[in-house]
Amino acid sequence: MATRRRMLLKVIILGDSGVGKTSLMNQYVNNRFSNQYKATIGADFLTKEVQIDDRLFTLQIWDTAGQERFQSLGVAFYRGADCCVLVYDVNVTKSFERLNNWREEFLIQASPSDPENFPFVVLGNKIDVDGGNSRTVSEKKAKAWCASKGNIPYFETSAKEGFNVEAAFECIARNAVKNEPEEDMYLPDTIDVGGAGRQQRSSGCEC
Amino acid sequence: MADGATPRRKSVPDWLNNPIWSAPPPSPRHSSPPRTAPSPPQPPPSPVLPPQPPRDPTPIPPPNARRDGDASDDEDDEGKGAGAPSRSHLVAEFKVTLDRKVVDLAELRRLACQGVPDAAGIRPIVWKLLLGYLPTDRALWPYELEKKRSQYCAFQDELLVNPSEVTRRMEEMSVSKREEHNAEGTGVLPRAEIVRDEHPLSLGKTSVWNQYFQESEIVEQIDRDVKRTHPEMQFFNGDSSDSLSNQESLKRILTIFAKLNPGIRYVQGMNEVLAPLYYVFKNDPDQSHAALAEPDAFFCFVELLSGFRDNFCKQLDNSVVGIRSTIATLSQLLRRHDEELWRHLEVVTKVNPQFYAFRWITLLLTQEFKFRDCLSLWDTLLGDPEGPQATLLRICCAMLILVRRRLLAGDFTANLKLLQNYPPTNIDHLLHIANKLRGPLPF
Repeated sequence: MATRRRMLLKVIILGDSGVGKTSLMNQYVNNRFSNQYKATIGADFLTKEVQIDDRLFTLQIWDTAGQERFQSLGVAFYRGADCCVLVYDVNVTKSFERLNNWREEFLIQASPSDPENFPFVVLGNKIDVDGGNSRTVSEKKAKAWCASKGNIPYFETSAKEGFNVEAAFECIARNAVKNEPEEDMYLPDTIDVGGAGRQQRSSGCEC
Repeated sequence: MADGATPRRKSVPDWLNNPIWSAPPPSPRHSSPPRTAPSPPQPPPSPVLPPQPPRDPTPIPPPNARRDGDASDDEDDEGKGAGAPSRSHLVAEFKVTLDRKVVDLAELRRLACQGVPDAAGIRPIVWKLLLGYLPTDRALWPYELEKKRSQYCAFQDELLVNPSEVTRRMEEMSVSKREEHNAEGTGVLPRAEIVRDEHPLSLGKTSVWNQYFQESEIVEQIDRDVKRTHPEMQFFNGDSSDSLSNQESLKRILTIFAKLNPGIRYVQGMNEVLAPLYYVFKNDPDQSHAALAEPDAFFCFVELLSGFRDNFCKQLDNSVVGIRSTIATLSQLLRRHDEELWRHLEVVTKVNPQFYAFRWITLLLTQEFKFRDCLSLWDTLLGDPEGPQATLLRICCAMLILVRRRLLAGDFTANLKLLQNYPPTNIDHLLHIANKLRGPLPF
């Protein structure tokens, strides 16, 4: 049933400009870091084959532009997403404060069938900077926010050093997979309003 | 593959299927001699660009940025853009045209579309003329330039001061007023006159500080992006004092633009549109102009954007003039010229043109080709009598047609990757195809 559909998982990366979205994606897909990335305009796109519990998937990762101006164009990119990754820079408080805005904007534009349970993953990036001394958002604070939004899985990463990137994306992929069958249950003529499809809670990641 | 079989307009024009499109470079634009031809009696052939040692070695894209597959691009620094050598005969023609008392714009456009030679400081003048920054009457040039450049100075004075300076000036004014009052014996301390709105902690909308904080966000964004402008080029991103000063210039231009255009402010990517202008003007062999590249680039940037402004404007995204509609026009253009390809892309593989064309269009193709090639491409973009937007869309359409075989064989992923990382291409060839797509834009 769930396997009948594409074995494709669509992941969107959102967050303020300069938090390292492009770097994270490239570190994960190409195992490469460069401090020469240009600002992303519109959205860039990479894919990676992943195996999850014996099943093969193509992870389709969309790296989006960080500036607010581009948000209204997001709908084309967001639609059909299976997981949304919210990224902030642990050294820039504002990028953390805007996570909520990104999350809401995503839910409005992507309008997933079950917004309450749509899988997000939060990444606090650039933990390598200045040996952690310039950090302005604590792990505790970030985790508290994630908990308040329905237990969003949280990872601290360094795209530069490749720290925790693999683990984060594995979790992202797993959450995206979890999202798939749920979509199937909400296909057109399900008249069930009683909530038979509600068993799914994206309550964090077992990985 | 959706092989033809579309009821109307089934057939693709013959020339589209000509193997030449997928074959490596044909002859360059028009009938200029091959670019490898030794440049004959051209003024000073050696210093293609001004002799500014530190700033100029400009090793363009790093070796791994774009692998050369099929195109015969001139790799070396000497190549200085598509076909400097081959167009040497054009230098004379340009000189004649530019030396006229009143420059014939139509003539200049015709020439520019053939590509502007990199040598002899021609491009800076040509671009300034094409953008309407220089009037066609040469006699007016000194006056116009003087006027614009001092206007820019005024903008700098007015718009780039920080708020403490503004408050200080205001205080001074009120103090002097107060002093007049004092003279009349009111005795109120001057300090009391600082308007509450102008206190740094004031949240009043009109507070210069509030404005400043909003603006500082833009300034930070500009700063971040300018640092990321052509990281592979010494000119923009070296450690030299020259590249740092170039960055400062770009920042000032973008900041002033943002302040003068509150409806648009700064949109990411503007730095990339500004970069070629500034680069060309800054490398003018005429030092007196090169030194004033900043004001010149500012006004030309404003001119250039005036034709594309709507693409940057969020409020217009869904209007008939915003970026979405521009992209839709491109899509229709493709459909008109190559329905099979259009169908395969948009219907069969479901590649929404917004996924690739958004960047192509808003950044005027500056990210899709090597920097040097971009300059050549912009010669046509600025010179073509159809105007920049129509020309841009034709070139975008030609880009699609140029890789049609690969696209027709590709699925969503392959196609999107191909279009987001457009393969190295012979620019003359591309423009040749774009030239064949003339006709009224579909709406």
